[in-house]
Amino acid sequence: MAWKDSLQYTSSLKQQKNVIPELRILLIDENRQRAESLTSALNNSRYKINHLANPDMSLLKQVDEIQPDIIVIDIESPSRDILESLSTISHYNPKPIVMFSGEKDTDTINQYIESGVSAYVVGDLQADRVKPILDAAVARFREFQKLKVELSDTKQQLASRNLIDQAKRLLMKKRNLSEDDAFKAMRKTAMDTGQKLDDVAKTLISFLNTI
Amino acid sequence: MIEPEQTDLILGFIPLTDSAPLIVAKEMGFFSQWGLNVKLQKQNSWATLRDKLHAGLLDATQMLAPMPLASSLGLGCAKVQVITPLVLSLNGNAITLSEKLHQEILQENNLAHVTLPLAAYLLQKVINVRKIRKRPKLRFATVFPYSCHYYQLRDWLSSANISEEDLDIVVVPPVNMVAFLQSGEIDGCCVGGPWNAKAVRAGIGLTALTSFDIWQDSPEKVLGLLASFQQAKPNTVIALSAALKQACIWLESIPNRFEAARLLSSDQYLDASVDVIAPSLIGSCLTHITMPPRAIPSYNQFSKSTKNAASTSSINVPEYIRGEWLISQMKNAGQLKDIDVPADLVRTVFRPDIYHQMRLKLEDQSVQFFRRSG
Repeated sequence: MAWKDSLQYTSSLKQQKNVIPELRILLIDENRQRAESLTSALNNSRYKINHLANPDMSLLKQVDEIQPDIIVIDIESPSRDILESLSTISHYNPKPIVMFSGEKDTDTINQYIESGVSAYVVGDLQADRVKPILDAAVARFREFQKLKVELSDTKQQLASRNLIDQAKRLLMKKRNLSEDDAFKAMRKTAMDTGQKLDDVAKTLISFLNTI
Repeated sequence: MIEPEQTDLILGFIPLTDSAPLIVAKEMGFFSQWGLNVKLQKQNSWATLRDKLHAGLLDATQMLAPMPLASSLGLGCAKVQVITPLVLSLNGNAITLSEKLHQEILQENNLAHVTLPLAAYLLQKVINVRKIRKRPKLRFATVFPYSCHYYQLRDWLSSANISEEDLDIVVVPPVNMVAFLQSGEIDGCCVGGPWNAKAVRAGIGLTALTSFDIWQDSPEKVLGLLASFQQAKPNTVIALSAALKQACIWLESIPNRFEAARLLSSDQYLDASVDVIAPSLIGSCLTHITMPPRAIPSYNQFSKSTKNAASTSSINVPEYIRGEWLISQMKNAGQLKDIDVPADLVRTVFRPDIYHQMRLKLEDQSVQFFRRSG
């Protein structure tokens, strides 16, 4: 390869990198051979693998340090319980988890794994199958997380609207204001003090309820 | 007798001392007496065991007592109705501290030796000193988020007003507990046998107290299976429960438990030596390599004869009150926030009705046996 070509090649690699961000995979598998075949299957892709052959001693530390974008684990690994607990006991930023299994009947397990939460079972680690599965896992996981965030935002909005309504009604009752004036008064306070409307509502409710 | 609709069954178990009823029923031929051909399949993690049960890859399985409730609520998994017709064991867990934490407790409290069962307030000093010196928090391990181990550990800590913010609680597979204690990755754990005894024998831990010191006689392991399986194959479930109940009764005798320890030790089951499996089975709690064991007669409890022959109560009955107690523990641990718990949840999961049907069959069979043998 001439030096010019090689330069061009490097710069096109860089460009590619700019377009598609790298994703860090934490692979938990005691079978070194399988790990190697997965690593080579993902060569020259956006997935970068960290392999943990004996995960039980340091899985928690590794998850903390690597902050993987995806965790790939053998379904038979004892560490599955650790992963499962990360989202329940510890307050842990959830990651998509891809599971693979030697079981022929993985489809049956697959249908019971809560769709979108985290887990996708791969029959085996054939090179041409792995990439699309990982892509799909990441995409579905992001979609699911987005829905979850939207849901909690909606809940939050409903809660603050309730607060504001409650404060408004209190103002109307205790200060004999019209609905429109009550709301304007609250909005003015919020703007003057640089607070959020629902914070003003909260303060008002506790204040008006004590006097 | 009873005609099981399905005779070939695959049962899951986790290598633990209290999987004894499953292994005994298999090895002593109780399953075959009930016309069942059972294959026991060792599982490495509770989550995988649960997913395989949900998917029908296991027909039934040993479970942590809160697991059928968690499955039916869809906690940490898809919502699948799991039932339990039989309690397999009571008690059996213990809290073991690393040797390093043991020494820290002695030092910070100016003690020459600890008194067992260890009071949790002795930890308070260690926690405070670590906080002042800006050293890392203590880290304790349990085996699964929905487990009595976790609730027992919480209860013990809260008896000294130690909150979960004062230390870290993580999940570690039982098979790795001893190595974690040794490496210093964790300072203590709540785990079932034989892992506590193994840590003591290896000289790396102090078994501070057993779960019997925290809660007395609450269900630890249960038989779990899908509600849909029971609906389709009620006789199979009765036969299965009867064989396991027979194993529990067989395990009531201490000499039999020695024999059970020998059966469990084989590599297809626990793959551990008899000297770490036997103690808890015969009511002995190893404490520390330099200290005498404690007598805990109910350390592992599988059955208990009632003096009143007419009594139908037994520790193997999945009574509603036990389910309600577990629900209250889950609630205390904050696991039921944002979850709608149906009012009849416990009644649909805990099934004493199946237990009582099984008990009648079991009595019937022993009457027939008595007649045959003259």
